[in-house]
Amino acid sequence: MAAAIHKTSWADDVEGLDQSKGEDYIDENGIRTIVEYAINDEGKKVKIIRRIKRTLQKSLVEHAVAERKTWAKFGLEKGNKPGPDRATTTVGETVYLKLTPGNKAAETELSEQQALKATLSKAGAGKVVCRICKGDHFTAKCPYKDSLAGLDNIETPPLAADSDADAPAPAAAPAAGGPSKYVPPSMRNRGPGESMSRPGGSRDDLPTLRVTNISEDTQENDLRELFGSFGRVARVYVGRDRDTGVGKGFAFVSFEDRAVAQRAMEKMHGRGYDSLILKRTVVP
Amino acid sequence: MRPILLQGHERSLTQIKFNQEGDLLFSCSKDHIINVWFSHNGERLGTYHGHNGTVWTIDVDAQSRFLISGSADNEMRLWDVQTGKCLFVWEFPTAVKRVTFSDDDDQVVCITEQRMGYQGAIRIFHINRDGDGTQQSLEPVSMFHPIGSKATVCAFPYMPGLILTGHESGKIALFDARSGEEVLSNERAHLDVVTDLQLSADRSYFITSSKDKTARIHDAKTLTVLKTFQTETPLNSAALAPNMPYVLLGGGQEAMSVTTTSLRQGKFEARFWHRVFEEEVGRVKGHFGPLNTIAVHPAGTAYASGGEDGFVRVHHFDESYFKARPYGEVEILD
Repeated sequence: MAAAIHKTSWADDVEGLDQSKGEDYIDENGIRTIVEYAINDEGKKVKIIRRIKRTLQKSLVEHAVAERKTWAKFGLEKGNKPGPDRATTTVGETVYLKLTPGNKAAETELSEQQALKATLSKAGAGKVVCRICKGDHFTAKCPYKDSLAGLDNIETPPLAADSDADAPAPAAAPAAGGPSKYVPPSMRNRGPGESMSRPGGSRDDLPTLRVTNISEDTQENDLRELFGSFGRVARVYVGRDRDTGVGKGFAFVSFEDRAVAQRAMEKMHGRGYDSLILKRTVVP
Repeated sequence: MRPILLQGHERSLTQIKFNQEGDLLFSCSKDHIINVWFSHNGERLGTYHGHNGTVWTIDVDAQSRFLISGSADNEMRLWDVQTGKCLFVWEFPTAVKRVTFSDDDDQVVCITEQRMGYQGAIRIFHINRDGDGTQQSLEPVSMFHPIGSKATVCAFPYMPGLILTGHESGKIALFDARSGEEVLSNERAHLDVVTDLQLSADRSYFITSSKDKTARIHDAKTLTVLKTFQTETPLNSAALAPNMPYVLLGGGQEAMSVTTTSLRQGKFEARFWHRVFEEEVGRVKGHFGPLNTIAVHPAGTAYASGGEDGFVRVHHFDESYFKARPYGEVEILD
């Protein structure tokens, strides 16, 4: 006990001695109280009181078992004193075993994906509606992503879209966005799917032709060349697959003049180019 | 309950075993040594040195006098439990995968691996209990090569003259100990390697675990499947809890894929299943890797599990374990 007390300096020696003795007594209930003083890691002197009660638990064991307890240790343990050695034997944290009926396998067998879905639906995001086909999946995973997305937006006349939007927008906006979702003024009154496609309004004003049934290898420059003969081409866009970069067989060609666009459409519709018959329509 | 952690091994555990009274716990691992512990407080009594390879298997006789061990150094050794002295060494052409004492301690059955042109063999040795145990016969009483799938586990059932085996193909079979003839077999007992086989106290039935994610209780005489416990991970060990209607299953996915899966997903837990209703009733967490071996105290008051993580965890059951009646009052006598 006394050995456990660390002396900080010689000056503390005398003072430390009378305190450091501590106490050690056993009261009438058989509880041994040990009081000792020590200096902790922060350099502060602390008083440690330990109360220990020893109870003897008796159990009946077989003779052979009792005899084995007296066996001398051997091997790596040779010569060690009786009692568990901390190097090899430790007591772990409490674990609980609750025996209950019911198949735990079924309860806890949620895969990672299922668990994610469960937490999502708990958070109120359970209803996933595709903006394109109104199906039960994310828009990005819609099977009609390629076909429907382009067609819908393009073939709806802007006038009709505008007049439609005026009436249902106030009612639809809170429903779609949820009560807490903030929508910036510039993004309000927009149909779904339109928000990002055309950042600037100016391009909408240009007369644009949609060219379909073009070959996969067609490049912007090819179309520019082809349509350049009718007049100035403002912009050419070729639809491509995001990952592979292969053309999807459609393109938009914007002209600066509506008359030129009209003429180009009349001339080129049904013409062969690169072994395919071109089809085109005016994008209003 | 607070488990006692035994850190006597530096590599993964291969088998742990209680002695007849349950006061000693033997453990062996891939680090070549065998440890013996007092089960009540986790104190290590001693270690057995001599093997030069993974110790695959151990067994102790009913009197806790002799310990037998089989190792990857192609040796089977007989040890004096009390002093840790090696009494006798048998040497084979291939590694020893399983050793078991008979119920009268007179015989030992061992399985040696099929490797390097040698057939897998089952040998039965007589153990001379007179004197200090160093006078043993090198020649087996009987030896035979099971044809077909190689044997992985073996035991002496209660029927005299027969050896019970579990095979790599999932087959469970009974062999005549003298002639080596296959007396009875259940080819479809499991669909994959039989990893463990533990007999009930009276040796009339036994539980097997397999990599096919099931554990099954079989009748020792007819080899019919009595109960099936379908889990979701490959199983390495299965044990019967005496006096209580439970079985303990241990497993987890393969050691090689442990680092790629989370602790929770790995199912590194000891699973308690109800013996009759074939339903899981509880689990105990703790290990950081798959459980390789489970042993239950013969009195049913404690169990120990050894894991791929190199730890042995000894759990003494709380009062609540003995009082719990998950399915109401159902009397099952062992």
